[in-house]
Amino acid sequence: MELVERLKKKFEVIGFKKQRKDLFIVETTKKDLIPMLFYLKEYEGFRTLTLISYVDWIEEGKFQLSYILWNSRTKDNIIVEFRLDREKPDFETIYRMWPQAEAYEREIHEMFGVNFEGNPTQHEELILEDWDDIPPMRRDFDTLKYSMERFGERESKSGINIRKEISEQYDEWRRK
Amino acid sequence: MSKEEVRLFIGPQHPGITGNMSIELLLKGDTITWAKTHIGYLHRAFEKLMERRIFIKSFPLVCRICVPEPDTNEENFARGLEELAGIEIPERAKWIRTLVLELSRLQMLIMWYGGIAGSMGLSTPVQWGIGDRDYILDLFEELTGARIYHIYIMPGGVRKDLPDGFEEKVLRAMDMIEKKLPEYDEIIMENAVVQKRLKGLAKIPKGWVEEMGITGPVARACGFPFDVRKDSPYEAYDQLDFDVITEEGCDVWSMLLVRRREIDLSIKLIRQIIDKMPKGEFLTRLPNVLYWKIPSGETYVKSESTRGEFGYYMVTDGSDKPRRVHVKGPSFIHGITLAERLLVGQNIADVAPILVALQICPPEMER
Repeated sequence: MELVERLKKKFEVIGFKKQRKDLFIVETTKKDLIPMLFYLKEYEGFRTLTLISYVDWIEEGKFQLSYILWNSRTKDNIIVEFRLDREKPDFETIYRMWPQAEAYEREIHEMFGVNFEGNPTQHEELILEDWDDIPPMRRDFDTLKYSMERFGERESKSGINIRKEISEQYDEWRRK
Repeated sequence: MSKEEVRLFIGPQHPGITGNMSIELLLKGDTITWAKTHIGYLHRAFEKLMERRIFIKSFPLVCRICVPEPDTNEENFARGLEELAGIEIPERAKWIRTLVLELSRLQMLIMWYGGIAGSMGLSTPVQWGIGDRDYILDLFEELTGARIYHIYIMPGGVRKDLPDGFEEKVLRAMDMIEKKLPEYDEIIMENAVVQKRLKGLAKIPKGWVEEMGITGPVARACGFPFDVRKDSPYEAYDQLDFDVITEEGCDVWSMLLVRRREIDLSIKLIRQIIDKMPKGEFLTRLPNVLYWKIPSGETYVKSESTRGEFGYYMVTDGSDKPRRVHVKGPSFIHGITLAERLLVGQNIADVAPILVALQICPPEMER
């Protein structure tokens, strides 16, 4: 029986795609994600967690979390993903299953603002220092506005305001 | 922290650290009782910048994600875009890319071989490593016009064909490097102090490897034959003849042996590539890259770097810019999860060799 059939029997599978011969993409629900990861780890041989990643679908008001696993026997990768509400991004930690998840979740909490319940170190700063704005990897974070407010205008020696010129050029280019 | 313990920061500016990062240690006498990795000295927000640039403009960014070995990034990014856009690249382009990747791996390994000696106070091989690496950087300069950031691999193939007589120059450089390696071996591998210090140092429990996602030479030093070149062959690696190198010791000495044997393997592979290089086109025609839109999709591409599995998780949404690019550097796991656990119980003098053996590259942790 194919992997997808076995998964469909046990869990809610919203979407399935075979991207390459060694890469599967499975979309599931928030409720079924952790049981599915556990099943894949313990029964299907996907014993290694390679990466936890995140995507911002701001138009739909959703965040996507993607968990990439690897099977050392069949050499296959699987991406297990689900979407959660942008307004209330709460989820649970999986660091008891894989220790490296602790650091990945810490990064996601800092850069993306997802709250992983049960992760002991997620509130510690990883990369940013004294950050007081919305998490910077969200798509509605305006980098130019932030740096203008924080650092202001700066005159160069020649008297030309380079920052302003660049931003005007960029706006013009975008309008095209 | 008890009164018997001392808190000590190693880095961000310290000769024993492998880049702009720091490790906070608690010491009881000479022994480390607790360790924590601090990063964030080098955050340049590449992933955020990539979301706002058209695809082709991201190439000057991705090569800066790990400075000494930039080609892995370019190749991964280009291969991911090709997969999402459904572009087939010519056979010769695959072989040229493989050649560039192997040359880049070799120069990194030679520099590392000197570096591990430097971490124990043997400063002569460090200079040799930097010097001999230059033979390969000269080749890169002739091939791509740049020594470090090549921006040579692009979607659809490579930017230019090999110049006339380039193959002979590569072979000559390989001969030159191979002739020098016995001198390195004599001063590093046959050195009694090095052997005594590294054998049995920082043993990694075998159970950690799969559970923690350890890859590359560190996993191979524990007897796990994990090599992306063999497991999921990319470019022309499926047509090359080689075996995965493993050692059984799980310690820093085994990591040194694995990497030393990989230098030989890289030289062997480069000779094979030159031997089998086909003739033909080196670049397919792309649509106008300034208005290039890639259909929505999602993929994870990976390749073997000198430090371990290097991956790109890419999501596109049908526009001319990526929705998300997440760079998975092997150092994220090696430098935070593994190093924090591995350093506990070690002597303070061994921190530098352990960090160099794990080959932690901070820029790929914070992207």
